[in-house]
Amino acid sequence: MSEEKVIVANKGLVRAEFNFWVGRYMDKFYDGLENKKIVGNKCPKCGDVFVPPRKICGKCNVVIPFDNNWVDLPDIGTLVNYTITSYKVNDRSDRKAKPQIIGMVRIDGSNTGIIYRILDIDSSEVKTGIKVKIEWNDQTKGDPSDIKGFVKV
Amino acid sequence: MEKVGIVGYNQVKLYSDANYGRYEMIFEAVRGAIDNAGLKKKDITTVISCTNDYYDGRTISNCFTVEVGGGYLADESKVEMDGAHGVLYGLMRILSGNHKLAVVWGGSMASCFPYHTARLYETDPTWERPNAYVNDITAAGFQMRAYMEKYGVSAEDIAKIAVKNRKNASKNPLALEEAQNSNITVKDVLESDIYAAPVTELMVAQPCDGVAALLLAPEKHALKITDKPVWITGVGWNQDPYYLGDRDLSGSKSMELAGKMAFNAAGIKNPKDEIQVAELFEAYAHEELIFSEALGLAEKGKGADLSSEIDGKLPINPSGGAIGGNPPCATGLIRIIEAVKQLRGEAGKYQVKDVKKAVASGQIGMCAQNNILYVLEGGA
Amino acid sequence: MGRQVAIVSAGFSEHASKRSDVNMGELVSEAIEDCLKKVPSLEINDIDAYVNGNMPAFEGSNIPELWMTDWMGARNKPLIRITTGGTTGGSVAIAGYYTVTAGLPGVETVLAIAFEQQSQGDTSVGLASVAYGEISILNSMGATYDHLTRLLSGGAAIGAAAYQATTYMNKTNITEEDLARVVVQNRHNAAKTWWAHLKMPDLTIEQVLDTPYIQYPLRYGMVCPASDGACAMLFTTEEKAKDLCDIPVYVNGVASVANESAILGYDGSGSAQIDPSMQLGAIRSSELAYSQAGISFPRKEIDYVEVYSPFPNQELMWVEKLGLFEEATAPEMYKTGVTAVNGELPVNCSGGVNSTNAIGASAMERPAEAALQIMGKASNQVPKTVHASIGSGWGGSLNLITLMVMADEPQRKWR
Repeated sequence: MSEEKVIVANKGLVRAEFNFWVGRYMDKFYDGLENKKIVGNKCPKCGDVFVPPRKICGKCNVVIPFDNNWVDLPDIGTLVNYTITSYKVNDRSDRKAKPQIIGMVRIDGSNTGIIYRILDIDSSEVKTGIKVKIEWNDQTKGDPSDIKGFVKV
Repeated sequence: MEKVGIVGYNQVKLYSDANYGRYEMIFEAVRGAIDNAGLKKKDITTVISCTNDYYDGRTISNCFTVEVGGGYLADESKVEMDGAHGVLYGLMRILSGNHKLAVVWGGSMASCFPYHTARLYETDPTWERPNAYVNDITAAGFQMRAYMEKYGVSAEDIAKIAVKNRKNASKNPLALEEAQNSNITVKDVLESDIYAAPVTELMVAQPCDGVAALLLAPEKHALKITDKPVWITGVGWNQDPYYLGDRDLSGSKSMELAGKMAFNAAGIKNPKDEIQVAELFEAYAHEELIFSEALGLAEKGKGADLSSEIDGKLPINPSGGAIGGNPPCATGLIRIIEAVKQLRGEAGKYQVKDVKKAVASGQIGMCAQNNILYVLEGGA
Repeated sequence: MGRQVAIVSAGFSEHASKRSDVNMGELVSEAIEDCLKKVPSLEINDIDAYVNGNMPAFEGSNIPELWMTDWMGARNKPLIRITTGGTTGGSVAIAGYYTVTAGLPGVETVLAIAFEQQSQGDTSVGLASVAYGEISILNSMGATYDHLTRLLSGGAAIGAAAYQATTYMNKTNITEEDLARVVVQNRHNAAKTWWAHLKMPDLTIEQVLDTPYIQYPLRYGMVCPASDGACAMLFTTEEKAKDLCDIPVYVNGVASVANESAILGYDGSGSAQIDPSMQLGAIRSSELAYSQAGISFPRKEIDYVEVYSPFPNQELMWVEKLGLFEEATAPEMYKTGVTAVNGELPVNCSGGVNSTNAIGASAMERPAEAALQIMGKASNQVPKTVHASIGSGWGGSLNLITLMVMADEPQRKWR
């Protein structure tokens, strides 16, 4: 290998904007979030409740009709899993920041988990099985950030 | 299932920042594999490449790698998953009878892109991605905690796997230098930087630069090319549901089903008695335990009791596994190559004795959503 | 080695410039529903394995088949992903064929799915990013990005097509009117295809020529749209096919041959390919696929053609390169109605890519429509009986041609 090897590294930024169609089911869910309400839907065959709502139940492979099968769900759930990490990842970078507690919460009455931060709690108090409740953002926009996080009940 | 043989292979040494370019690396891997088999470029009729546009930072990334991959005017295609899935497509092309020699290559250069950001693009853009709470870092934490809490496995037991694999990697000249450590202890692993509690940095298979390639041929042809063909006698692959909340992260249903499919085809009834070595793509140390249980090599929750060192009863990842170096899109392919080395007696300092049957796995997705498993026999 | 494979159904979602009513998974499930409703004796749970693909740059989503698992009915089923740029759909269909023909135990019925929801992203960025790595070196030496994209790759796909057009026109002395005629035929055909995007039953050659140039000789009126849409094809074994549909379509030949990388080669080093209309990849692909299918005289033995042509010059070029017409005679065939719906050798009765281009899906829609014509179930069904048909795809940068040769009789000779 020659001593004078020059490797050129080039860095550049390309702007590419994406806008994702959420579909009608998620649209209804986000309308609910804007009103600080959790809306899910229920599989007509197995009775599983999904939050956010889905067009198709993966277990039964049936379409959940859009016109009905909607379920209003409470703000409360059970913490089924959690992790604590200082790594913050977003569209541009990943970096070390302050440690955050990220939890998987099963909203009461649903059969799946949603993943958000667990707020205002010491890491020593976090355990799977505790009851947690949504803390809403004051201003809601109808997007995932309307749920600020969960707090211990 | 008709026999398809792996007749040649090559892998470049893994670097965290390789001092040469993508095309040179691919050429080295593929040319080396063709030379390893004693063949010529004109013998190749089909090439399957495994790369990922988001990791390479450009669309249709493999259209520029056609020549260096040996694919000029060859019937070629691309699998955008782990290299191990690419081998499946190569296998299918040979089984079709349309082709006599297939080259499968895969790899990427993790030094050229922000790995965790790129992984974020796999997530649901309509729900999870805006917040980015679900990413490969947090997914690892959820998976390890789910496994530990269900079966009462300790972080020490999991750290032991990281220790074993890093020690094994130090015997593997091609493994990533930063991953090789023959003096590492459980304490070192547990006290390393917290990645996503309870996962620590030394339990993670760090992404790096690397490319690997192998050659496949139908039985009659394989026997003419080499006197040490390794036969693929079974393959299974399966995909779990996507949302982490829909899955039982303490196990791997997709690995179980992939295993059943592969063992059925290979006629294996008791994997833990019939397999002598396993090379499993473990993106995190705890995944090695989860997979060994899913494959029936250990009972559920008892993976830590397996004697899986190189001189143990059922060695797992004698090459160091993915913890020894994880070049995205090549890692699973390298596991297959390592299993081939074991069967052919070419594994040097980490050779396991008397290997007759081996398994190798690849994966893709958060918490190994899609798994593929091969049963390999033959060799020396 | 290798068992006979049959196509028993193909389905589509509605294609439009913005399918804002669905997310990606829902778009794909529409195509799957349309595919499966034509084989009512088969349920989604009967599918043994899946093949999925799209062009990932356009939606800003990497490996989206992981996210859309449930929408495809693929939970805990075997699934692989194939992506080859513009030919993705064709490659996915070919992989569907290989998955069945490999004869792996328990893998007999395979659903192949290709899709694109382009409205979610910026198509020109998605296309131009093919060359980023290559041209960025020159960028670091002072050439601006804009300048580079236009100069070197000629503005991505349209640039490549423009080079193909001018070299082809040089050889054949065709006029822009000949190009416009191809467009008019495609758009009229699209008007009779329920799932197509640009339905223009009253389009005239004058109207096409009355639009400004994008890049000589291609005018705005001649280019394909950017569509959102999905396509699904169902492959199975010969034995099962007989119970699932009246006329199974046997896949007798497949090929996807790659020519050299593009006009700019790699690292901007230039290319040995001086004549982009030479199309070595297409010639080689057709050699391989026709010989597998036992076809020696494609013009006489093929009854229907779906050729991948987002731009009209490509349709003329490829019907020749794929062996259906002699060199430089294609424009005459369009003039004299040989390629019309009721002609001797109908081409692109679905409207082709020129009328509907959901990039990931479009190369699958060609063999899909070609298969439906054999089954007699195509939207714009030709009056004559179709025994053998072909569907092609083009992509990579200039370089990958996929080809699938199908017939109502299985090919057993060459094995």
